[in-house]
Amino acid sequence: MKDISLQVEQTVKTYGGVVALADGNLSVRSGQVTALLGANGSGKSTLSKILTGVIAPNSGRILIDGKPASFNAPDQARRAGISAVYQELSLIPDLTVAENIWLGHEPLRAGFVHRAEMRARTRKLLALFGGLVKPNLQPDAAIDSLTPDERQIVEILKALSFDPRLIILDEATASLDSQQVNRLFELVRDWKTQGMAVVFVSHRMEEIFRIADKASVLRNGHTVGERDIAATNERELVDLMIEGAAVLGRERAPDVPADQPVRLRVQDLKTPVLRGVSLDLRDGELLGLGGLQGQGQADLLMAVFGAIRSSGRITVSGQERHFSHPRQAMQAEVALVPGDRGSEGLLLIRSILENLLLASWNRYNTPIRMPKARADGSTVGDDLKLVMASLDAPVSSLSGGNAQKVVIGKWLLRSPKLLLLNDPTKGIDVGAKAEFYNLLKQLRDAGTAILFYSSDDDELLGLCNRVLVLHDGAVSAELRGDGLTRENLVAASMGAA
Amino acid sequence: MNARLAGLLNRNPYLLSLVLLVLMIVINRALQDNLFEIGPLNGNLRVFTPAILLAVGQTFVIIAGGVDLSVGAILSMTNAILATQIPQEATAGVVVGALALAFGAGLLAGALNGFGVTVLRLQPIVTTYATGFIFSGVALYVLPEPGGRLPRDLTTFWRNPLEVSPDLHIPMAIFVIALLVIFWIVLTNTRYRQFLFATGSQADAAYSTGVRVNRVKFSTYLLSALFATLAALALTLGSGTGNPRAGDQSTLPSIVAVVLGGTRLSGGQGNIVGSIIGAVILGLIGNIISFADLDSWVRPLVDALIIIGALAIPGLIRLARRLLL
Repeated sequence: MKDISLQVEQTVKTYGGVVALADGNLSVRSGQVTALLGANGSGKSTLSKILTGVIAPNSGRILIDGKPASFNAPDQARRAGISAVYQELSLIPDLTVAENIWLGHEPLRAGFVHRAEMRARTRKLLALFGGLVKPNLQPDAAIDSLTPDERQIVEILKALSFDPRLIILDEATASLDSQQVNRLFELVRDWKTQGMAVVFVSHRMEEIFRIADKASVLRNGHTVGERDIAATNERELVDLMIEGAAVLGRERAPDVPADQPVRLRVQDLKTPVLRGVSLDLRDGELLGLGGLQGQGQADLLMAVFGAIRSSGRITVSGQERHFSHPRQAMQAEVALVPGDRGSEGLLLIRSILENLLLASWNRYNTPIRMPKARADGSTVGDDLKLVMASLDAPVSSLSGGNAQKVVIGKWLLRSPKLLLLNDPTKGIDVGAKAEFYNLLKQLRDAGTAILFYSSDDDELLGLCNRVLVLHDGAVSAELRGDGLTRENLVAASMGAA
Repeated sequence: MNARLAGLLNRNPYLLSLVLLVLMIVINRALQDNLFEIGPLNGNLRVFTPAILLAVGQTFVIIAGGVDLSVGAILSMTNAILATQIPQEATAGVVVGALALAFGAGLLAGALNGFGVTVLRLQPIVTTYATGFIFSGVALYVLPEPGGRLPRDLTTFWRNPLEVSPDLHIPMAIFVIALLVIFWIVLTNTRYRQFLFATGSQADAAYSTGVRVNRVKFSTYLLSALFATLAALALTLGSGTGNPRAGDQSTLPSIVAVVLGGTRLSGGQGNIVGSIIGAVILGLIGNIISFADLDSWVRPLVDALIIIGALAIPGLIRLARRLLL
């Protein structure tokens, strides 16, 4: 195999006004495993997508073997010998295992796809994980029929099928069991001796120390340091990941009196992602959900709201409830503010007023009492300090922060007793965030029970008196009082005890 | 629901349409005694051929996740070109020139659709609905009123193969269908087939795997326009004349035929054999309605019931599963 050395220098990537990567640097070479780590939103995935040509950086250089390279499409990076296992899997549901692995570089015979050869080569690749997958994982199996770990393995084999000089494993161990992870690491060690370069992105500290040779740390889009794994420790890396990060004004929320009624009790909640989560939430409490993205926080909120199926006991306002439709949850005075306000929370081209009233039309119905509806809508608009041209302007004319306030406002009209928030401040500006925090405090002080998932650790630290950290679908730590520190939060996010 | 039957249907979604086809043939035969004699058989299949070709072209677009609402208009346009450019006394050179002009115009139309969808990034429905008006306009400009008469040799060759060769007891349309099936079998063994299905199934994943998703989408509109032009050729040879509104009512049936044939309307699954069967079923339904002396309003009603039925089957299977388990 041809040796490779790759340097990424000062890459920048912005989406609109949002900076995903401010100063990304990385250097890798043959026979070396480089761990890429950082907290939520630090730019890890952006940097690895730049390496594979999926997104193009606004500026910066990539040097391969000392020569400048630029990728405009994934197949160009692939030709340079770079392939990746993506966090969001890149498998095609309607194609078979073999067809997926060889998509775009199918073995040919006289110009036609040589299916027998394709199957044989697929079997050879599957043998790498022999004994650790169910016998139904065959070249002709449909992707639809596979479990998450099997899909992950197919994804890994697909990246490997390109015979890359550099392979990027972006959270490739997230859905593998420990034996499968062990096998993957044996393979990685083989690849190293063959001269392959490996970039390993993981949220599991323990794995980084097992497999990586060096670690490169990103913080807020900047590469802040590189360490030899042999000469560092977990504490030092965690400090690098969080050191000097912007701190939100800390005013610790008051403890909730124990005599407040329990508004929400969840016992042993299970979904395909969650592995038995329990919690109690009292009136007037703002309970945080922390951890890295995709550890089951959204599933927990959706399951309580009845938007996805789950097993386990959910008690709302003292009654055991299993909502099978969001409508039932709404009738029980539960509200959910979704994470993706564009697709789930708002009718973008409709007016602000219509959006505010969407969940409450029943109250102004038959015949529609428009003046009353308008009056209530404008009261909510004032309460939220909406910056808008008029209530009749389309929601798409609002800034991100104001649009998010509309999503909340639409539920405030229903005065919910239990408010579920799924990463509500994602992508909104600092000023709007501050107003949003005040709103949350008002609601909490008025006795609303709030379950608050945020991917921004600062918010959890600044607003909550208690935070449950989720890791791999289970609660890895409950932090409260003096134990609620950034160090503990990051450590628990990485699965460290 | 029998699990094995469900699995079989999942892998070969056109099996259901095969059942429907047999049913339609039986009903049609009951109403028309001589259905299987060479004369009526040849006539029927000849009339079905343009619809079959349109449905085949439509299949590619739908598998790749799009839809082409302009196929009827492209058929009208190229039918008008062929009818005006091939006069009764045309020489071989004139005929070749006219064919080149028609196929050039057809492919240009397909390229315009592909441009709108991949470069301008417009919705396929919007793009092809709009371009359809352009192509209809061109058809009316070229041939304002129905007219034109093709050389008798040409139409006879297509209409009545018995006159060309008395030993040939096979309708021309059968050769066309056989060629289409061979074309499909060859295609399913190429990389293009993989790219086509990957694009329709999950375009983002296909893109990050290195598939040139835009090129694939573009190519499907070219193919669809090519088959619409072939359909126009079959129609012109069959009728011997041109009509600027010939394709007005043929776009939606082409989509119905594709759906009947088991191709998933949202893309990623399907095949043209099913679409051919679907087009034949629709043709037979038309026959049955005219032979059974039913009022003409029955036909759209039956079409509607069939498309709703075909679209509802996967949902009904899921519903049954949910209620039973």
